[in-house]
Amino acid sequence: MDNNVSNELKQYIILRFDSEQYGIDISYIDNIVRLMPITRVPHTQPYFLGVINLRGVIIPVMSMREKFDLPFKENTGATRILIIKYEGANIGILVDEVKEVVTLNDDDVEKVTSDDAETRSYVTGVGKYNETLISILNIPALIVDIENE
Amino acid sequence: MDLSQYLEIFIDETKEHIQTLNDQVLILEAEPDNIDTVNEIFRAAHSLKGMAGTMGFKRMQRLTHDMENVFSEVRNGKINVNPDIVDVVFKCLDCIEGYLSNIVESGDEGTEDNEDVIKVLNDVLAQAESVGSAPEPSAKEESKQETKADDAKSDAPDAKKKYLQIPIADFEKNAMQDAKDKGMHVYATTVYIQESCLLKAARAFLVFKGLENKGEIIKSVPSVQDIEDEKFDFDFSMFVISEKSLDEIKNVIENVSEIEEAVIEEFDVPSVVEDTTPKEEVSDKKDVKEQKADKKDDKKGAAKAGKPVVNRSVRVDIEKLDDLMNLVSELIIAKNGLVSVTGAMAGSDQSFNEQIEYLERITTNLHESVMKVRMVPIESVVNRFPRMIRDLSKKLNKEMELIMTGEDTELDRTVIDEIGDPLMHMLRNSADHGLEDTIDRLKLGKPKVGTIRLDAYQDGNNVTIEVSDDGAGIDVEKIKAKAIEKGAITEEQAEFMSDKEAVDLLFMPSFSTAEKITDVSGRGVGLDVVKNKIEGLGGDVEVSTKLGEGTTFIVRLPLTLAIIQALMVDISGEKYALPLNSIVTVEEIPSEEIKYVHMKEVINLRGTVIPIVRLNEVLDLEPVESDSELDDDDSLIVVIVKKGDKQAGLVIDKLLGQQEIVIKPLGKFIRVPKMISGATILGNGEVALIIDSNTLV
Repeated sequence: MDNNVSNELKQYIILRFDSEQYGIDISYIDNIVRLMPITRVPHTQPYFLGVINLRGVIIPVMSMREKFDLPFKENTGATRILIIKYEGANIGILVDEVKEVVTLNDDDVEKVTSDDAETRSYVTGVGKYNETLISILNIPALIVDIENE
Repeated sequence: MDLSQYLEIFIDETKEHIQTLNDQVLILEAEPDNIDTVNEIFRAAHSLKGMAGTMGFKRMQRLTHDMENVFSEVRNGKINVNPDIVDVVFKCLDCIEGYLSNIVESGDEGTEDNEDVIKVLNDVLAQAESVGSAPEPSAKEESKQETKADDAKSDAPDAKKKYLQIPIADFEKNAMQDAKDKGMHVYATTVYIQESCLLKAARAFLVFKGLENKGEIIKSVPSVQDIEDEKFDFDFSMFVISEKSLDEIKNVIENVSEIEEAVIEEFDVPSVVEDTTPKEEVSDKKDVKEQKADKKDDKKGAAKAGKPVVNRSVRVDIEKLDDLMNLVSELIIAKNGLVSVTGAMAGSDQSFNEQIEYLERITTNLHESVMKVRMVPIESVVNRFPRMIRDLSKKLNKEMELIMTGEDTELDRTVIDEIGDPLMHMLRNSADHGLEDTIDRLKLGKPKVGTIRLDAYQDGNNVTIEVSDDGAGIDVEKIKAKAIEKGAITEEQAEFMSDKEAVDLLFMPSFSTAEKITDVSGRGVGLDVVKNKIEGLGGDVEVSTKLGEGTTFIVRLPLTLAIIQALMVDISGEKYALPLNSIVTVEEIPSEEIKYVHMKEVINLRGTVIPIVRLNEVLDLEPVESDSELDDDDSLIVVIVKKGDKQAGLVIDKLLGQQEIVIKPLGKFIRVPKMISGATILGNGEVALIIDSNTLV
């Protein structure tokens, strides 16, 4: 029984964009790094800011804001690059702020019925934590989408 | 015994033997009386059989065994080499390769018995039987003698039995006698190692180790210590006490590779000198049966003379080399970092700078050495082509020969692995489409035998491989017509198309001008695949052709993929790397010298008209505003690059200098435009993109 309960608990990294909060399953996160110089790559997907050098490995970085069509915002001291590991490769996601790591019970996450706009398909569910709502991001969908383009 | 650890060695060695056989059989086809070749083939076939047997690949063993028998008969002069036999042997080799690829994939030889080939082999043997005057019926007999080999067989000269000359001390005699009394056998043996063997001590050690599992070695000459120190020639003798049979002991020795021969017999303790019990030779037991001693000795001598030169080499897993290369790359990046830091430090210490320069020299040398380690002669790829051309010649019923030069030209291992298929495709193309039918050639007054050439040579930082034929050449009009028919170009375009552009149409997907589709080529997949593959390797492919005289495909490949020399440039404030090997010169061109041709910017550089590419436009960058009004738009810095014999001028803003750069991929999920071939990390940790100038010419 104990086992069952712990299976339903998952850790999420909470990101903030403007007033919205997003959560990413911590198992996807390889690293979180401060903003570093990004080299622009011409003629690539518009939401790719370019590439960075992370300890000798070159990693493409995408902008969450561009991807979600959010208005442009200057980078601040809180800006971070989340390094995601997926299918053996790394990809960076530029986010406004990384807040904290929370543990959510599966019961607290409500699955989203994908009925409306594109943005929704990047969200698998909505969790509740301390009375705030957290949109849980669907990382594979973000990445697969990238591959399709 | 667990053999899996030997599987890799088995696969490598089998490949080598198959290659040797292919080469030698080709020679044999041209010179049926070449006895050295026959010996070489026999030896390779024998080794193959032995290895297959050791590893427990019974079907492979059976096939090689029968093949070996055929060559045994050839060697005895009972069979004359004729085209039929050569065909059968080639078929046989294909079957063995089939087994091998099964083994590579699954560790198992598969279930194909290849009965038809075996039957043909046995038919050949049976014919030899009826023609020759064999003392014993051989074909059936021979398949059995694997197990019983201790009958009277040969009269190898006593000189081979070096153990007869070894003085035996009393206590040793006693030990032997004791063993005999206990019903054990005492064997005396002299083992001969091939003279080409490099690690004879290791081979000897394996023999000892094997024998120790089967019994006890009571004496060896030279001593074990001396053998381990390689203080012996190419043979050593020993006495072994064992309860195992002679065959078993002999097999243990035989299974160690590079053992030339093991003379072994049951040792008769009291009567050492008059001993006349028949002895046998392991490596030659098959032909020994039908051969007279004197004849055999002749052959032996010849065999030794024709021994191939063995490379002094160590096998290293390619992954280890990749690791090494990565480390060298990291070192170069670190060194570049150090160099850029010292550059920033004003008035830095003299001796400090010297040390930095020293470090630079070392890393450059280290890089070169590691690169050299990774270099492999293209021979390992092209050596299968003579056989392929021979088969094509039969299949297409055209007479042709392949001339290859520069097989020793070296390329990076990663390039070598990829280049085989494209080259094969081009050769097939030449054979199938390039060369005319023999009748047509005669009508045209050309030599009856068509020539296909494969020439490889190093050219600066590139390796060039040319595949050419003296066939019909490419009919440009025919290509144009076909392209129009396929809707690839309009008639208008065709009219203005240069011959060169028209020939380049051949590299478009699904473009085949062959009127009849053969299974050799002409399925419409091909040249575009070839081009993609070669461009993927950072090289390029070009065609030059002359109607009626022939066609040449020119493939240029980079020597290495990982680390290159590059010119660092500034374009609108961004740093880019241009590979040095495609740069011809860097020119400063006054802006008024830019002319327009067909609405495109060109310059006239010493009589050559060269189109201009403004890199800031290509890279989506704003042009830099001139800081000073004085030299406003005064002149442009133009890097002249070449691709084949075409040139282009790339306009940049600033030259930053030459640097050794490590090429890295841009990551998986980002879409990279064609003109960017990768990225590199600069000394300060920044990433700079590498421009593939070939896509801009």
